[in-house]
Amino acid sequence: MDFLIALVGKDFVLTAADSASARSIMRMKSDMDKMIPLSSHALMLLAGPVGDCSNFGDYIQANLKLQALTNGFEASTHATANYVRKNIADALRSRGAYQVNSLIAGVDEQDGPSLYYLDYLGTMVKVPYGAHGYGSFFTFATLDHHYREGMSLEEATDVLKKCFLEIKTRFLMNLDSFKVRVVDADGIREVEVAQP
Amino acid sequence: MSSTDKTVLASAGFHGDVLTLVKRIGVRMQNYEYQHRKPMSTPACAQMLATMLYGKRFFPYYTYNILAGLDADGKGCVFSYDPVGSYEREHYRAAGTASALLQPFLDNQARALARIPDYIGRKNQQGVVFEPISKERAMTIIKDVFTSAAERDIYTGDAVDIRIVTKDGLEEHRFPLRCD
Amino acid sequence: MAFEFGGMPQFEAATCAHRSTSKALVKHNAGADVDEDEQQFTGPVPMFSLPRTDNPSEFLHQYSDANPDSKVKIQFAHGTTTLGFKFQHGVIIAVDSRASAGSYIASQTVKKVIEINPYLLGTMAGGAADCSYWERVLAKECRLFELRNGERISVAAASKILANIVYHYRGMGLSMGTMICGWDKKGPGLFYVDSDGTRLTNNLFSVGSGSTYAYGVLDAGYRWDLSVEEAHELARRAIYHATFRDAYSGGHINLYHMKETGWERILNMQDVGPLHYEYEAMKEQSMATTAD
Repeated sequence: MDFLIALVGKDFVLTAADSASARSIMRMKSDMDKMIPLSSHALMLLAGPVGDCSNFGDYIQANLKLQALTNGFEASTHATANYVRKNIADALRSRGAYQVNSLIAGVDEQDGPSLYYLDYLGTMVKVPYGAHGYGSFFTFATLDHHYREGMSLEEATDVLKKCFLEIKTRFLMNLDSFKVRVVDADGIREVEVAQP
Repeated sequence: MSSTDKTVLASAGFHGDVLTLVKRIGVRMQNYEYQHRKPMSTPACAQMLATMLYGKRFFPYYTYNILAGLDADGKGCVFSYDPVGSYEREHYRAAGTASALLQPFLDNQARALARIPDYIGRKNQQGVVFEPISKERAMTIIKDVFTSAAERDIYTGDAVDIRIVTKDGLEEHRFPLRCD
Repeated sequence: MAFEFGGMPQFEAATCAHRSTSKALVKHNAGADVDEDEQQFTGPVPMFSLPRTDNPSEFLHQYSDANPDSKVKIQFAHGTTTLGFKFQHGVIIAVDSRASAGSYIASQTVKKVIEINPYLLGTMAGGAADCSYWERVLAKECRLFELRNGERISVAAASKILANIVYHYRGMGLSMGTMICGWDKKGPGLFYVDSDGTRLTNNLFSVGSGSTYAYGVLDAGYRWDLSVEEAHELARRAIYHATFRDAYSGGHINLYHMKETGWERILNMQDVGPLHYEYEAMKEQSMATTAD
């Protein structure tokens, strides 16, 4: 039931994830953070079983941190996404696969902002905008319609608000609180977006 | 059923697993005695049985066990188990195919007699008189319980083995049941 | 754990941390007397004898009560209501005491709160043996931590040990939903850990088949600034309502209060039978006053 969404703007990536943690028909927690920073300028959004997400997230984060320490520099968003994808793909052909869908948002000095869409089977696509979960069925049309290349943060936030509104009006489940973060040249920061 | 002079194990279910389990318990109790120069206490044996059963969590012993004996204070103790080693110390317990038949019988008869404090069971008998249970009365209840079981449960019959653990040692009895 | 990094290629260190649960598992030796006969059954999970099939968990599943077609039935104790919440005076933990096997009530006197040590409590929901066995292992790990580090383990760390162990067994059919509650340097701690590897922290949790009913009472009455008496009564009432509606919950109420000085047992096996009539009388009384 998780919902992840992200879109690339002029010099930033705007990301959002719902903050409910569900178990069968119950909400166990309403302030869940489904994002994990992979470096100072890369953020991973995770959807799937909570156990898989937290274990996989921690594992990737620790490994990338160690790589940064040994190499003396942080990996690019492109390299990070490929590293995550390889781990998912390797796990898929082993005894225990990670059932995690993810979005990786990052900003690099050379390449600028970028977003990667990954699923639990090891699919990876570089996209201008992406979404995971049931929420994606309701929001992709909105994104297709309103997304423009090189949007300002205000414009991107407006599109995101339209997505939240559609979720609120059409989706059966009550996803009422979202965590919104921006990745840009200054790093990762949380932004307040008025919930519909 | 298998026993030392302080601890007895009653085991129902798949007889093959019962035999294996009893053998392995025997080995570990002997080793314990050689290593520690004292016999294993009943509560220690109870915890051991739990870990042994859980050791086969993914391929369980198909056995339903009751372990009984005397604890460190010399008081009687009964431990009941599920097949994968969840256990609980109790005052009385029926296990096996007729357990659902006999447990209410024991709730009604033995509870009142075993001086169990009020908080443990419901008062499912009117005008309960709490009095110490005598060995003779306990024997009568056990025989009645098994006679009833043989009457209504197709898997129970022929005879019942009874063991009594006291501070003076172990008593063994065999009581015949209907043989049809 | 840190010592296990030694000898590993540097960039693999995080991998080692991740996998080291499997090393720890070697220590979680269930039956120390695994003889040679048993050894040959030992599969990917060390020390637990496994059926020699492609899928060990499926093997057991076909004989469990989950499969209605099977004549052979290995029934496990299931069905529970447990709850826990943090508030200004600490943590409250309350549970019922029923164990059922199918429609048969196997016991009305189960202790579903496991006293890990004076500052840690665990609750049981799901498979009784799974909970009590692994929380016993957790108790051992917590004691070893104390001996090695000369201080008590944090609630976060203790719950993570348990979560890591059960996560290692995912897909094997373990069944447990537990709350680990305690008091450490950060104050009161409450974590939910289950056999899917989920580990969450929050102010309020309820676990088990009766949890929806308990949530109904708790969500309505919960506040951070509850007084001690209010908190005890809220927990007691939540369990009572769950035992009333949920057939798989019942028996007695056990209630614990976790304080800075460790846990205290507040209710010891309070029978819910008479409690029902107490609450009914209170309801009638309040209805009579409103009628006036």
